[in-house]
Formats: sequence, C-alpha cells, structure tokens
Amino acid sequence: MIRVNNLHDIPWREGLTVQDVLDHLKYSYALITVTLGDELVEPERYADTSVPDGCAMTVFHLAHGG
Amino acid sequence: MTNPISMNQLETIAADVHAEQAKYRGMLMVCNGTGCVAAKGFEIKKILNDKLAEHGLQDQWLVVGTGCNGFCAVGPIVVVQPEGIFYQKLKEKDVETLVTEHLVGGKPVEKLMHKNPVTGAINPKMEDISFFTKQQLVALRNKGLIDPENLDHYIARGGYTALRRVITENRPGDVIAEITRSGLRGRGGGGFPAGVKWASGRKAMERRGCEIYVVCNADEGDPGAFMDRSIIESDPYAVIEGMTLGAFAVGASEGFIYIRKEYPLALVRLNKALDAARAAGLLGGGIFGTDFSFEIRIHRGAGAFVCGESSALMASMAGRAGEPRAKYVHNVEYGFRDKPTVLNNVETWANVPPILEKGAAWFAGMGTGDVKDNPWNGSSGTKVFSLVGKVRNTGLVEVPMGITLREIIEDVGGGVPDGRTFKAVQTGGPSGGCIPASHLDMPVDFDSLTELGSMMGSGGMIVMDDRTCMVDVARYFVDFLVDESCGKCTPCREGLFALSRILRRICDGHGEEGDLDMLEAICDTVRETSLCQLGGSAPNPVLSTLKFFRDEYEAHIHEKRCPAGVCKPLISYRILEPECTGCGACVKPCPTAAITGEKKKTHTIDAEKCIRCGICFEVCKFHAVEVK
Amino acid sequence: MAPEKIDITINDKKVTVLEDSMLIKAVIGAGIALPTLCYHKDLTPNGTCRLCVCEIEIKGKKRLVTACNYPVRQEMTVWTSSERVQKHRKLLAQMYLGRWPNVPVIQDVARRCGVTDGAAFASDLTDPNPKACILCGHCVKACDEFIQERILDFAGRGILRHLTMPFGESDPHCIGCTSCAHVCPTGAIQIIDDTNHPVDPDMIRRHGMKVNAEMATLDKNQCCMREVGTANIVEVMDRYDLLPVHNYKFGQHPDTYKVDSQVLRKKYFTQNNPDACWFGCSMSCAKAVDGFELKTGPYKGHRVTVDGPEYETVGACTNMGCFDPDFIVEFNFYCDTYGIDIISAGTGMAFVMECFEAGVITTADTGGLELRFGACDEVLECIHQMSRGEGFGVEVGQGVRQLKEKWIREGRGDAQFIRDIGMEVKGLEYSEYVPKESLAQQAGYAMAVKGPQHDEAWLIFMDMVNNQIPSFEDKAEALYYFPLWRTWFGLHGLCKIVWNDVAPADNKKYAPQQAAKIPEHVDNYFKFFEGMTGEKLDEEKMLAQSARVHNLQRLMSVLFGFGTRAEDTPPYRSLGPVTEEEYLSRAERYDGQLRSVLGLDPEKMTLDEKRATLRTHRESQYQKVMDAAYARRGWSQNGIPTKARLRELGIDLPELLALAAD
Ligand SMILES: Cc1cc2nc3c(=O)[nH]c(=O)nc-3n(C[C@H](O)[C@H](O)[C@H](O)COP(=O)(O)O)c2cc1C
Ligand code: SF4
Ligand code: SF4
Ligand code: SF4
Ligand code: SF4
Ligand code: FES
Ligand code: FES
Repeated sequence: MIRVNNLHDIPWREGLTVQDVLDHLKYSYALITVTLGDELVEPERYADTSVPDGCAMTVFHLAHGG
Repeated sequence: MTNPISMNQLETIAADVHAEQAKYRGMLMVCNGTGCVAAKGFEIKKILNDKLAEHGLQDQWLVVGTGCNGFCAVGPIVVVQPEGIFYQKLKEKDVETLVTEHLVGGKPVEKLMHKNPVTGAINPKMEDISFFTKQQLVALRNKGLIDPENLDHYIARGGYTALRRVITENRPGDVIAEITRSGLRGRGGGGFPAGVKWASGRKAMERRGCEIYVVCNADEGDPGAFMDRSIIESDPYAVIEGMTLGAFAVGASEGFIYIRKEYPLALVRLNKALDAARAAGLLGGGIFGTDFSFEIRIHRGAGAFVCGESSALMASMAGRAGEPRAKYVHNVEYGFRDKPTVLNNVETWANVPPILEKGAAWFAGMGTGDVKDNPWNGSSGTKVFSLVGKVRNTGLVEVPMGITLREIIEDVGGGVPDGRTFKAVQTGGPSGGCIPASHLDMPVDFDSLTELGSMMGSGGMIVMDDRTCMVDVARYFVDFLVDESCGKCTPCREGLFALSRILRRICDGHGEEGDLDMLEAICDTVRETSLCQLGGSAPNPVLSTLKFFRDEYEAHIHEKRCPAGVCKPLISYRILEPECTGCGACVKPCPTAAITGEKKKTHTIDAEKCIRCGICFEVCKFHAVEVK
Repeated sequence: MAPEKIDITINDKKVTVLEDSMLIKAVIGAGIALPTLCYHKDLTPNGTCRLCVCEIEIKGKKRLVTACNYPVRQEMTVWTSSERVQKHRKLLAQMYLGRWPNVPVIQDVARRCGVTDGAAFASDLTDPNPKACILCGHCVKACDEFIQERILDFAGRGILRHLTMPFGESDPHCIGCTSCAHVCPTGAIQIIDDTNHPVDPDMIRRHGMKVNAEMATLDKNQCCMREVGTANIVEVMDRYDLLPVHNYKFGQHPDTYKVDSQVLRKKYFTQNNPDACWFGCSMSCAKAVDGFELKTGPYKGHRVTVDGPEYETVGACTNMGCFDPDFIVEFNFYCDTYGIDIISAGTGMAFVMECFEAGVITTADTGGLELRFGACDEVLECIHQMSRGEGFGVEVGQGVRQLKEKWIREGRGDAQFIRDIGMEVKGLEYSEYVPKESLAQQAGYAMAVKGPQHDEAWLIFMDMVNNQIPSFEDKAEALYYFPLWRTWFGLHGLCKIVWNDVAPADNKKYAPQQAAKIPEHVDNYFKFFEGMTGEKLDEEKMLAQSARVHNLQRLMSVLFGFGTRAEDTPPYRSLGPVTEEEYLSRAERYDGQLRSVLGLDPEKMTLDEKRATLRTHRESQYQKVMDAAYARRGWSQNGIPTKARLRELGIDLPELLALAAD
C-alpha cells in the first residue's frame, strides 16, 4: 500500500510507477511536483520511476485559480 | 469544359479533339511563349487568322497558340503541322507570303526557314535542325503541340490517364515506390530523390497525425534561366497533374505554387489551367467523382533569388521575410505552417505524370547509373537546360542525363560563333562553377557536375569564349550573390562582400600578394559555415575558376594584365602598323575622339583619351586594332 | 511522452542529453565555453553568427553544425574546437572585427578565438561605433517572443541588412517595454525615457525580464496562457470534479470536451497576438475571438471581436448547462457589451434554471421562456431583455439575493431549498468553482470581504488535492496569508496571473508549503515595489501593508451591514449536496466520509438520514474553520476586527475604532 498526499491509499504492486499512480488518481495537471519520500521526481522520469511499497508520495498541484 | 468529367470520359475527349483537328487540312502552331510574344507572336497569330479568312481558308487550317518551343532566339516561330515545317523569325509581312505560297500554293517558303549557321543548308523541318535533333522530351513533351490554355488538348495527349490509374488503384504507397524506382531526382538544384522525399513526408504526416502540404517551387531565380517558366507556359496541366499525383501519394489535400512576380504570362496560364481543372472536377473537392480532394493555391514571390531556397520560400509563403532557417529539422517534417511539406521544383512535378503513365523502368532507362534499387545511384531521365552565352543556338533544350557537355554545346548549341574558341561553360546558375574545355566530354549528371566543383543547379548553362575573363566572371557572379544574399548569417553576408572587394581589386590591377590565399580561405569558411546553400555554394564560381584558370588570376596580380582583354584598367588599345590601311572607319565611332591619322596612313590612339570601350576593335575590318 | 535520452561524447567527455535538446545546452552543461554572438538563453536560436560551430561525427561521418540550433537526435561525438572549427571561427571573428572593430562583445569573442585584428575585412562599411548594432537579432526575437509585438526586424538584403522599425520610422506601436534594449549586447538600443520615473528602473526591468523569459520558454509546456488564457483550466477543473455544472450541483460533465481550451484554441482564439490587458504584458492571457458572427440581438449578423472567453466565462456557461462554444462566445460578447458581469449573469441564470426545473417558477413567470439547463437561446433572450429593461430579464437582473427573497416571500416552493441553492453571499453571486470538497475554499469564498469571489483566496488544490493544510490552524493560516497577499496585488495595480500561472523551472526545489507561494515570483513583486519606490519589501512588511487595507475594507463592510458572521455563512450548496440527486451522484464519496470521518455505517441509514447527518457535520466543520480564521485575523467571533488588531496595524481613527469589536 502506498499513500498519496496523506489522503489516498493505493494498493501497491510490483513495478508500479509514478506515472501509474498519477493515472490512477487522474492527476493530469501541468504544474505538478512529485516527491517520493524526500526525493523529487523529474517529469521525464515519471514513467520509469517505480514507487516502493509503503512509500509516502506527494503530488503537489501548483494552482491558485484565476 | 464546365462539367466534371468522369474517368471513362478521357478517351472520348481525346477522340473529340482528334476528330475536330481531323476536320482541317492541318494546323498552324504559333509559338506564344514569352520570347516569341516579345517578338510579336500574338500579332502573328492574329494576322494569320485574318489572312486565312481573307483567303477563305479558315475551315481548312486551324491556328493554335502554343507555349515556348525553346528556340526563342529565332522567334517568332510558326510550325505547320502535320508536316512539321518550321518557320522562324517571322515578320508581320511574312505571313501573307506563308499563306499564299505555302498554304495556297502548296510550296513551303524556303526563305522563312532555318539555315544551318555553319553550312548554310536549309532545314525545312524541326527535326532537321540540329538544335532539336538530340533533344529528348519528357518534361517538355507537349511543348509546341498543344494550346496550353486548353485542357482537352492536354487530355488528347494522354493527360490525366496517370491520375485516373493512380486513383483507381488507390495504393499511395505504390505511387511513392514507383517514383523512387524511377530514380527521379529534384530538378530544382539539390538533386534529392523525389520518392524518398515523398516517403519521408508521408511518414511525418502519419506520425504526427496532421495535414501535409505539397508545394511547387516556381521561383526560378537564376539569372537567365527560364526552364520553369517555359514549362508552365507551354504545359501548365503537366505541373498541376504532377502535383495532384504527388498529393494523392503523400496524403495532401492542399498544395501551393510559389511563382515569381516577373512571370505574368505563366501566371495567367496557370490560373486559367487551375480554373479549367477545377471546372472539370480534376481539382478541388471530389476529383474524378471520388472522395479524393485536392486544391492548389498560388503564392506570388516578389522575386528574390534566396526565396527559391526551400525554407526561405516557406517563410515567404507564411508572410515573413524570405530568409532561410537552419534545416537540421527538415521541411518534410516541419515546413509550411510547421506542417510536413513536400516541396518540388516545376520540372520535377512535370516529370511525374509521364513516369506514372509509362512506368519507372521507362524513365530509369534514360540517363546514367542504375537507379532501380537506389535513386542516389545515378541520374535518370532528362534535364531541361537553358543554353545561353557564346553558342550559335541559344535556347531551352531537354536532353537525356549523361549526354556530354560537348554534345550540348557543339551539336545542340551549334558551337561557339564568330570564329572564336570555347573557353568554359558555367553550369548551375550564379553559384555554379566554370568547367574548362578539358572536361567537355564529361557526362552531364548530378554527381559528375558536383565532382567538378560545379553543380546541376536548376539547369542554367552559360557558354564562354576566349574573350571572357574568368576573374571578371567570378567577380560578376559573386557580386550577384552579394546582392542576393539575405544577409542573415555572417559568413555569407560579410564573406561574400570581402570576396567581391578582393576580386574587384584584382580586376582593377590592385591585386596583392596573398590575395589568392585569402580568397581560398574565405571561400572555405563561407562554404562550410553558411546557414543555407546560397552561401554554401556561393564560392563555387571563385573556387572553380581558381582551380582551372589560376594563371589568369596570377597574370592580373603579378603582371597587371588581363589575358582575355576584358578588365579595362589592365588593357590598352593600339593600332598595328602593317594592318592599318588608314581607312578611318574607327575615327568617327570613337566616343572620345582618341583616334587620329591621315587618310591611307596608319592611325594612332591617344592612350590618355582612350576609355577602352573597344568600339574601334569591333569596327576595324582589318584586325588592325589590338587589345592587350 | 517523455523524450528519449541520448548519450553523446563532447571532447572525450560522456554526457547524457534529452532528445531534441539543442547541442549548445549539452556543451555548456559539460562546462565548455563556446564563443557566441547570437545566442541568448531565453530566446529561440538565431543561428546567424556561426561562431558556435562544432564538428560532429555520426556513424563515421563528420560534419560541421552550429551548436545553438542543432537538435540532438542520435548518438554522436562532438569536438567543440577542432582545428577545422578553430580555423573558421578565426575567420568569422575577423569578419566581425573588420566591420565593428570597437564593439566590446566582439573584441571579447575575437580574443577568445585568438584574433585581435580584423584589418583584412575592413571596408568603407567599417563602423567605429563601440555601440554599433551587430545584427545579432536578440532584440527582434525579444520583441516577438517576449511580448509578441514584432515591432523590430531586419530590412535590406545581404550586406545592406540593418535593423529597423516598419518603413524606417519610429513605430507608434512600440509600447516601450524596453525588452529589446535589455537584451541588446552592444547598447545599440538605448532607453531615453523612463516615463514613470522609477527609482531603480533596471531592477524592475531585470525582474520583469525574468517573467518574460519564463513566458517565452516555459508557458507552452505549463499552462499555455498565451494560447488559451485562463481557459486552460476548463478541462483541468472538469477532471478534478470542480467545474460548476447545473448550478454547482456537479463538478463534471461528459460534454466538457466541446468547450474546453483545445476547442477554443483551434476554432476561436486568434493566436500569436499580444492580447493582453495592458501594454507589455508578456503573458497576454486576455485572448480574443476575431471575426465572430453574432446570431442574435441588436448586432445580429455583425462580425465582431470578442474579448475572451476566459475560464470564468466558460464556467458560467457550463454552470447553466450550456456546452455550445458559439453560444459561449456570443454570451460573452453581449454581457460585455451590455455591461453585465458574466459571472453574476451565469450564476444567476443557473439558479433561475434550477428553480425552473424544480417548478419554483414556470413559463408564466418567465414570459414563456423555457429556462431549463442548456437552454442557450433562452439565456440570450433573457440577457437581451435585461438590457432593454423588459420582461423576465429585468427580474433576473436583480440578482440571486433579490430573487431568493422575492420567491420565498411569494411562498413559492420550499424556502429552505431556495436558500440552499441560491449561490450568493453578501448579495454577490459565486464565481465558477465548486467548493464543496474544500473546507478552506468554502471559507475563502464566503469570508471574502466583497463576496464569494476567489480573488482573496483559491485554496482548493492546496486543501482538497494536495492535502497541504489539513488542520483548522493550517487552513486559518492560508485564510490569513493568501487574502493579504492577493489584496496586495490589487493595491499596487499589479496582476496576479504572472505570480502563479507560470512557475520557474526549478520551483520544485522548494518544499511544497513554500513552493505554493512561488517564492521567486513573490520576490519579483517585492523588487517591482522596491525599484519603483526605493523601499525594500519583505513578507512581513507586505502583509502589514495589506492587512491595514484588508481590515479597513472589512470595517467598511461592517458599516454597510455585511461584515458579520451571518454574512460570512454560505448557502449549503457551497458546503455539500443539497438534493438527493446530488448526493447519489457522488454517493461513494459521501458514504465514505460518513464511514471514515464520522464512524457511521451508511448501509444502515436511509438517504434522508445520510444527507441530514452529512449536512450537520459539514456545517459544523464550517463554523470551526470560521472560528479559527477569525482568530488568526484578529477578528471577533462575529467577524469584526478588534480594537487591539487595529491598533497593532496603526489604525487609530476614532470613527473606525468605534466600528471595531472589543
Ligand atoms: C539559394 C537557393 C535558391 C534556390 N532557388 C530555387 C529555384 O529558384 N527553384 C527551385 O526549384 N529550387 C530552388 N532551390 C532549391 C530548393 O531549395 C529546393 O531544393 C527545391 O525546390 C526542391 O525541389 P526538387 O527536389 O524538386 O528540386 C534553391 C536553393 C537555394 C539554396
Ligand atoms: S547563407 Fe546567405 S542567403 Fe543563406 S542564410 Fe546565410 S546570409 Fe542568407
Ligand atoms: S577603345 Fe574606344 S575609346 Fe579607345 S580608341 Fe578605340 S574606340 Fe576610341
Ligand atoms: S520596446 Fe518593446 S515593443 Fe518596442 S521595439 Fe522594443 S521590444 Fe518591441
Ligand atoms: S540592436 Fe542590439 S540586439 Fe538588436 S540586432 Fe543590433 S546588436 Fe543585436
Ligand atoms: S517563346 Fe517561342 S521559342 Fe521560346
Ligand atoms: S551562437 Fe550564433 S550561430 Fe550559434
């Protein structure tokens, strides 16, 4: 199980990537920042960075409305 | 024609045209290309019609205005078909003679025919004229044979059967493969295999899932070149059908013709042809009643040489300044409007219908190399050249690739006139190179010309005789390029300007030690670091003349002498004692009254007053004036 | 799709680069300097000086390329100063020196190429001016790419090339943004007048240029503000269930794709124009639709330019259930033309439509208009009536609060229902976001001094998606900081959009709490202030400046009777599902909350019980957030600024203190 934004629990599976999690949560906003634990993940690496089991992931949306 | 035509109507239309023409005893093909029009071609056509009416022959002879026959130097031209009697340099008053003697009297008029410039023999028919005998017509297949403003004429000559076949078979990939196998390489200068370009375009279009455009480059900026203009003027449908075929193959539904503003007649014919094709359902929505649609729009260029370069052309089409951009990303991927764009030259497009009509093997059978598996492996087909300069027959010629320079210049061109000798031929437009006599037996194709430091370019060919100074020639072309460089990149802008200054200095007799090294160094940097091929090829005239005529440069620099007697600051005129008969013919024409002398005694030239115009040299019948 | 990575070798050093990135980036990244005269890191490459030429080898074939505009697409070996390269660079440097011998950047580059003398290229065009234009093209690109004006370009072919404005005249369209002068490497373009007489114009310019550069280089991969303006979030809001649909009942609709920013970009918005609110804004998010043919109203058949539509306009329309882009543009045009606020019109109509569908009003009231959700033509007719002062339009024009009170007074339908769904606070209609799932935003809306506008605080993502402000204290802090920060823009006549609708590429280096503020952009504003006034600013000072005004505004609100806890309380539609339909549409979410937050078993409850329980819970949560926010702001529990807070802010006018709480 991994926890995203201390809000959503997502079942873990072998090979789960950052991109999979984003897709699962339908997080598609352009200005987001992803961290795994304390480590920042660059957008180019979403697809090939795997998420370890039990990990705390944050997906930070930078948006403040119009 | 105002109704869309269906596929099975082509033969009927052709039959109708033939039946219509068969009602006449013959046809009078009046050349109405730009050259002949300038020599009153339109008037000749009108008078012909009037005279026929006067003699009541209007139902027996059909007058047809055609495009350029390529032999503009002898225009205006009228060819009487079906015999093919070729009349040239017609004056308005000659028409009456032609009608009464030939058409009424049945006796062809010898004095209006072409004479062999060397032997003086009369050549009654086109095929008798050496200018035409070695030519092989593909791109110009319909020149002089059809009325370029009549779509039915084009169809009667087999037009649109290729498009019908291609649309019926509906295998765009096969069309591209056929063009690739034919070995057709771009006629606009680069010699890039058309099929390969189309394939990349189609691939980019599919990968990006966006529109693709086809564009016809009719900018033709080379000074003296008029191949493309003539093709459009004599057979506009060939270009339109070619583009339509290309559009079908690559998946385009929009095409553009970029044509220079100085081609008003070509533009008129093109617009008429586009309208007629649209009205006949051969252009626009639902071609031949299928769901294939293709529209062509015209963009007019303001006439800058650099706008012929592909990326500058597309910038100009988009309304921006006609400046090239780096082509690390190709136009077939990101071209006009940033969409995949297939650009080909007028002549390239005009070759497409016959290739698809007669097959790749037929086309590949002409020319050099074996291009069946690799289009880079040779130069197939024919090439249209504009042959000008010091040859007897100047004009437009279409010859098979691989023909030698000697055949073009001596056989087709009739050799160098006025008893002078051949010195060099400049091929490939302003940034081509000069090829000396020692290489006259070289076959003309893309790769051999490049190997010699020149290029095919779009097909300009300027013949020079022994009275041509090669340093002056280099200077002339470099100056042209200094004016035509867009000025965007530093080596071309600053480097060509520096070349021009050095060349001028040499021609003026101020050449210095080290100038030739400097010329070479600048040429090297301009060639290797310029942004586009204008700069990339601009050093050719300098490098090729330096290579083949270095002694002329050295004579200018070290001996302050122009061996060809052209560079004014370096020459002087003198009257030779034994030859001068004292006739005085040179005295009057001399603009500065520099010549004096008593009748029947040797005359002299006052070097102070002489401005080296060369008039006395030309007028003296006794070759008594010497230039050194 | 993520770009491929490619390994290349530069001068024997192995580096990895992203496919299609320019070679020069890799070279600079490898710590190797290249001489350049036409490269600027924030502008697209010119590729004209040719000094950056490098030799590359691909599959055994060597060639020269210019590093600044050569996109790396395959493995290769690169030499940045091979003999061949050096030879050409020397000559190019001489050409430059020959033409412009005294320009410092040229002298410097030439020296780096090992050249000090350009005599061989001297001519009568040699220009001794040390501030000569060297045709680098930076200004042309800056004018185009930074602010999309395209006032400058080159004219003249070949050696006659020179920089000019159209027709060689001083072009009145030049807005004096000074971008060109800022990027000019020689000083050929100079600023002769800073009309507003700032204390330190250069400080303002330096920070403004940072924004320009971000807009030119980052926006197309971030929010695409230049292409579609604020409408870029239409599809974002839909995906996150925040786009108001049918008077805020729902946050999503299957037809959103018909009106999203892709549609606007492709079919409506004019592209590549500086459609900005004010001259020189490099973001230019205002956008416009040109040549739009109107189908209704007094200008029917006219082709007009429409300013917008921006996000709120689209949201106002989806809120009315109208998913026809032509309608949106037309509605936009007529609201603007009649001087009607689009948000109030949209939210007001949405309320009317829901009342119509619920039978609160009928065609007898509307003058025959079937005002159901999605009734585009009827909406336009109503707007036209409003402008003419006729019919039902006049009634709608009174606004939601008046309608609510009237219809309740007239005893139509269920008063509670009408109160719950009439989306206004303090008499102002809500702007176009669904705040139901974000407690902080419910307060952000309802506590805003002027009414439920998000220009004090937009906390939805921070709260609901990022879960950055989980506790009441966190929310209160956000409800303290952001309204003050946003008020500060308004006070200084500065726009909020460039603060956070583009972010510096490395904004992620900050921890999320900090990152949300976009510290570098906050600093830009501080520097604008300092450059203009000469006074240094920091967060504390900024908050103090703003708090004085914010509290004054609140006191005015108190004076007019709107500054109270009651007036800060929103209609229930803003907090939770009002109707059964609404609850059922998101049943999983609501049931889940009952289970996890309240420890109840929704299986064992009736729908009415579930709705009532959720409502009680959410309303009490809202009260708590208000308590916390009032405390943080130094206001009484009735929402009135305290005397102590006013004194702390240096506000001591007796008339004002008289309004304050103890
Ligand atoms: C300076 C310059 C001028 C050119 N002018 C022409 C021209 O006038 N007509 C033309 O067809 N191609 C011209 N070209 C070549 C075009 O860039 C391009 O290669 C060609 O149109 C492609 O068509 P093709 O493959 O059928 O030859 C020019 C190239 C350069 C570098
Ligand atoms: S090589 Fe010459 S024509 Fe081509 S871009 Fe450079 S300056 Fe312009
Ligand atoms: S060259 Fe010209 S100017 Fe000189 S003598 Fe002959 S005619 Fe006269
Ligand atoms: S000041 Fe601004 S608008 Fe004017 S020319 Fe310079 S960059 Fe363009
Ligand atoms: S004015 Fe300055 S920025 Fe513009 S081209 Fe000239 S040197 Fe470059
Ligand atoms: S125009 Fe008649 S031959 Fe060229
Ligand atoms: S930096 Fe000028 S060409 Fe690359």
